[in-house]
Amino acid sequence: MLMRLIIALLFVLAALPTHALMTIEIVGGASNRIPLAVLPFHNIQPDSPHSSAITSITDVVTADLGRSGYFTMLPNRDSVSPADPKNLSLSVWKRVGADAVLVGQVLPAAGNQLEVRFWLLDAVRETQLAAMAYTAPASSLRVVAHKIADQVHEVLLGESGSYSGRIAYILKRNGRYELQVADADSHNAVTITTSPEPLISPAWSPDGKRLAYVSFEDKKPVVYVQTLADGARRAVAKFRGSNSAPAWSPDGRKLAVTLSKDETSQIYMLDLISGEATRFTRGGALDTEPVFSPDGRWLFFTSNRGGTPQIYRASLVDGNINRVTFEGGYNVSPALSQDGKYLAFVHRRESSFHIAVMELGSGQMQVLTDTHYDESPSFAPNDRQILYATLVNGRGVLATVSVDGKIRQRLSQSGDLREPTWGK
Amino acid sequence: MKYLLHISLISIFLSGCADTPMKEASIEDRELIATTSTTSAGADAAPITAAVISDKSYAASSSTDPSASTSGMRDTDIAAKALATDANKVTTGVVTQGVTTQSPEATPLAGTNATPDSAVGSNSESGKPDRTDILKFEAQPVLDPKDPQSPLAQRRLLFDYDSSAIRDEYRTLLEMHAKFLIKENSARLILQGHADERGSREYNLALGQRRAESVYNALNLLGVPDAQMEAVSLGEEKPVVEGHDDSAWSQNRRTEILYQGE
Repeated sequence: MLMRLIIALLFVLAALPTHALMTIEIVGGASNRIPLAVLPFHNIQPDSPHSSAITSITDVVTADLGRSGYFTMLPNRDSVSPADPKNLSLSVWKRVGADAVLVGQVLPAAGNQLEVRFWLLDAVRETQLAAMAYTAPASSLRVVAHKIADQVHEVLLGESGSYSGRIAYILKRNGRYELQVADADSHNAVTITTSPEPLISPAWSPDGKRLAYVSFEDKKPVVYVQTLADGARRAVAKFRGSNSAPAWSPDGRKLAVTLSKDETSQIYMLDLISGEATRFTRGGALDTEPVFSPDGRWLFFTSNRGGTPQIYRASLVDGNINRVTFEGGYNVSPALSQDGKYLAFVHRRESSFHIAVMELGSGQMQVLTDTHYDESPSFAPNDRQILYATLVNGRGVLATVSVDGKIRQRLSQSGDLREPTWGK
Repeated sequence: MKYLLHISLISIFLSGCADTPMKEASIEDRELIATTSTTSAGADAAPITAAVISDKSYAASSSTDPSASTSGMRDTDIAAKALATDANKVTTGVVTQGVTTQSPEATPLAGTNATPDSAVGSNSESGKPDRTDILKFEAQPVLDPKDPQSPLAQRRLLFDYDSSAIRDEYRTLLEMHAKFLIKENSARLILQGHADERGSREYNLALGQRRAESVYNALNLLGVPDAQMEAVSLGEEKPVVEGHDDSAWSQNRRTEILYQGE
């Protein structure tokens, strides 16, 4: 199994330079994978103009679940979903080792839409685990497929999947910088801003409708907020000096930002309606990379007030500040899980930069990666994976690692990728 | 001799000019628009609806529950068509803009000392330094930032690892700039701090800011008023030397002095 994975990985690597599209390689996986069969979805109307889109549902679901590292996908090519799932012989699938079987069908619906139905069946106990239907235009079938993968993941593993989220990142190609938004599987990538000058630090608003980021188009860092729906944007922090590191408050009304207008880099609270910036940190040390805890009670940030850059946390209730990281001389770029229990950050060890995670309750820290130039961690919506950027052969790629460090994936694309952040 | 000197001066001057293209117009916003025209007006009406099929049997129920519609799906309907044309625009933009983002003055200035003497020496690096010229500048330095022969053409201060302390070798350089700025009180400076590529981009931005502020404070102490200067940082985003070793990093940890209009 491991050998096959390695061979597949080598093929992926060999294919990389010629492919313009993003490819995904899997490094490692869970020790107990669930054997799962996804049968090709039955197209009720074979002459449908959307036949290829319908075929792709099966491929997307299979790819999502397959690369998660939690499932072993059984070969399905010779099978078809029966018109009625009652007619499926589950004992046959039990004999080939399947724990669960996903079958589905697609039929025309009102308003030129399609209805996608699926059933998740327990092959061992021969029972039904779930059955759902989605109605959507043909152009959205990829989204439907990600939703189905989420459902299967949740039913079989008891926790929500993160296949239907979106990611934002910066792509550097041909000397230009592009802010892109893509599905979590890196398909459907759309460039929303392009500039000849650097773009960094994209941050999703809590409702996923806006992105804040830093642009250097004015020969200095300025914080912008852009609405995804219409592409409209405005400079929200363009004070004297540098303006950077935007982080949204959980209610979406404020940004924590780093400004140098009064002293050196310090953290301010920026009211997005009034435009007023209120100073939050004081003292001559460098304070930057603020991030709110999801419950709005804490602001985590990076500071060198203790001599080396470390992560601190300030109470938004009483203003008390205490140090969070102690191990090593360089801990930066804090990111918090949605449940507020885990802190991901960049940890330097022997001049390499790794992604590490800390369980905040116990203070227990674990280094998750063995690559050397890891940056910009952010949690998946289900808190089970961390998205980050790293360098492979001098080129920026995006990667994910599970919070226990066991499952890793890489998302590659021609050009240099950096500054990823996972949205809803 | 003089001829070589002129050639190198002209090339430096031209490369300096190439660094200031009209970039304002090249920032483009992209729209994420719903592709499906079926829900054109009611953009909030979800194009995808989800419903639970009866759990009791395998048979499909045709009754779907529209109230279970998942809202917020609109954003995922991304216009692939609009993108394709945008991508073409980007490519054409790249051809004209891509090269200019580099700092062409890097090569001639790299590794030079900051004293006025060596500044002249480096400008005539294609030949041997002209001794009479050096003597002339020592006698009466030309304080004009636009003149590449002037000591004010020295604009780069390098820093040690994780440090924002100004090295002694830059004292004369800063004094020359201060002298000029006090005399020409309409002149404006932008001090751009930079960091090497290692570590977090945002933390490196703060480090670069600190390096710019060091130079700002030094000039301030030499009598240059706040109103004439702004300290900003470009972090690790604009290296002068592409490379992943100590020699590249030592060149990239720096503060650049830019006069307004440059």
